Amino acid sequence: MLKYLFAKNEDIAPGTAAVFFGFSSIIWFVIGTGLGSFNAAKLAFPDFVTGSYLFSFGHMRQVHVLAVIFGWISMAFAMAMMYITPALGNTRLWSEKLGVWNCFLWNVGLSLGLTLLWTGMSSGREYSDMPWFIDLYIAAFIALPMAINVWMTIIKRRTQGIYTTNWFFGAGVFMVTIVFIVGNSPEWFNLTGLSEAYLTWWFAHNVLGLWITPIAAAIAYYTVPKVTGNPLYSHRIGHLHFWSVVVFYSTPAAHHLMSAPLPEWLKSFASVEGVLILVPAIAFVSNLLLTMQGKWHMFVENVEIKYTITGVLLAVPLNMQGGFQQTRAINWYVHGTGWIVAHAHLALLGFSTFLEGAAVYYGLQTILRRKLYSLALANFHFWFLLIGFAIYWISMTIAGLIQGAGKIYEVPYIDVVIAEHPYMIARWVGGTMVFTGNLVWLYNMWMTARAGAVIPEGRLPHELAYER
Amino acid sequence: MAWNFDKPLYSLTDESQNTAARKTWESESLGGITEDNNRLPQPVVWLLAATIVTAFLITFPLWGQRPSAAIFSEYVQLMDTPEVQAIADDKGKMDYIVKNVKDTKYKALQDRHPVEMDDLRMVKDQIIELNRQGVDLEEYTVVGQHVVLANFEGNMKPDGTRQRKQPWWDKGYTIDIFYVAYFCIAVVIVIKRLPHFSWQPDHSVAH
Repeated sequence: MLKYLFAKNEDIAPGTAAVFFGFSSIIWFVIGTGLGSFNAAKLAFPDFVTGSYLFSFGHMRQVHVLAVIFGWISMAFAMAMMYITPALGNTRLWSEKLGVWNCFLWNVGLSLGLTLLWTGMSSGREYSDMPWFIDLYIAAFIALPMAINVWMTIIKRRTQGIYTTNWFFGAGVFMVTIVFIVGNSPEWFNLTGLSEAYLTWWFAHNVLGLWITPIAAAIAYYTVPKVTGNPLYSHRIGHLHFWSVVVFYSTPAAHHLMSAPLPEWLKSFASVEGVLILVPAIAFVSNLLLTMQGKWHMFVENVEIKYTITGVLLAVPLNMQGGFQQTRAINWYVHGTGWIVAHAHLALLGFSTFLEGAAVYYGLQTILRRKLYSLALANFHFWFLLIGFAIYWISMTIAGLIQGAGKIYEVPYIDVVIAEHPYMIARWVGGTMVFTGNLVWLYNMWMTARAGAVIPEGRLPHELAYER
Repeated sequence: MAWNFDKPLYSLTDESQNTAARKTWESESLGGITEDNNRLPQPVVWLLAATIVTAFLITFPLWGQRPSAAIFSEYVQLMDTPEVQAIADDKGKMDYIVKNVKDTKYKALQDRHPVEMDDLRMVKDQIIELNRQGVDLEEYTVVGQHVVLANFEGNMKPDGTRQRKQPWWDKGYTIDIFYVAYFCIAVVIVIKRLPHFSWQPDHSVAH
């Protein structure tokens, strides 16, 4: 990477930034899920690694969360943007050099930020835990350079129209910049009390709603038509999806604070909007599934489609859960329990990770022009990811219901802890399966770069997947 | 960007603009990825309509809203009766109070907001003081150990001040109805600016 930082832009091959982002994202995924597995072990076996502040759950938890969000998910997004945006504009990335610098500074900043979090320097606000100077660093050296590269590539495109994916990309990088800056304002302006709580959850909600959800969906809008050869079913449904994400997903942040003394009208508003998040979900899922017409065999045979469609299908339970668990009746029962942990993992490890996985698999093969080293290892990764995630999700959902019942019926806390124990072990098993699958993935993609068969000019990687 | 209002549900765009859109649509390969001009499938439209209706229906009863001071008023009055004083333990006192409240209007709300004797002791003096002032206790909310003026903005009272009770229509839902209506209108406009769905692009033109 270092040699590219100081090379001339025209001497850097197209896709270089995407490759660096792709491998960085997989490495951060391994680190993030490794930390997750470690943390889950601490919850399952209370005597596991004790006596050190650094390895206590309170120090480790946010390192896991932010390594996954900023490292895995967002870097996979950056990877997808760096190769899909130019491809859809029939042009080159506006600046490969900026992309490489972006990737370098991202890795440096994230490593620094997570180290500080690990040592205990935290703003103490969930999902925006980084200290204020790291927040400024992220805005200046991570979000803004990425946004400039995406926007300039769209502006410099050689097509007249802007395909749905690029529309989502362009809007997503704009929205996340605003969300990040406004969402961190309590720290910069010393806001306290309800204002701080509301803005913290406004940030946490909109990072999901206006960054992770639309960008993951945008990737699916690219991979499914590209790999199946079917055109996207409907431009109109794409419009419905885009505008309903912007309108309905940006408004219900208050549903995270249904028991707080926020104005009642705001909670009513947030509650209705929370259910209406089903609108973009219905539009997205129906558009992608209808695009699959006549190509459903690829859901079984093709790695990229297997990942993408699994992610698309997981959007259904995700949004059903999300929409209904924020109504007062259900929120009252599940708030603060493992149910919510299960839901968060359905969003990030289920829905979005499968879509990003497809983008990284497909993107690295396309840019490196190398056939996947081992299809068997890719399938191993898929099933370990899916089964591991399912074990995690189901066990934590059940655990959440037990905790909810314990809370409502005033069962002594220690009895709830004992009842949770088998589910905590199941969580650790599921999380460890995901981690193991990711190690295999890293090896597979490394070997693809080193020893994968070269893809001939004019062919696409998925066309060759089953040729020997 | 000419507009055509002859058949608003058919197309809002004039023919020359439609022709230009079709040309762009068909002549750009977008790296081999293209998109069709299919309408929203009817089941999807019905699903969306059902989602909007469901959203309003399931969130309408504001289950679990913070308790007004009025629902504990009779509890507080019963606290000092000789019958309650005669009971030795707090749990027994509370059970007696809950069984002997007469004002059934608040029964459901009292069930939703169970309290203990210690909770009542913290708000007792404040509720007695508000009763002495003759204010409407439904306009006061119990937040922890404090009894405070509720933050509802309900109907106007004859004296020009706001009623501090949750109005049946609730402001949040009113905003929502307008918000959803604007969204639906805007989406129809966006979609009807595209060429009509009876036309499908021929993607082979670009290749």
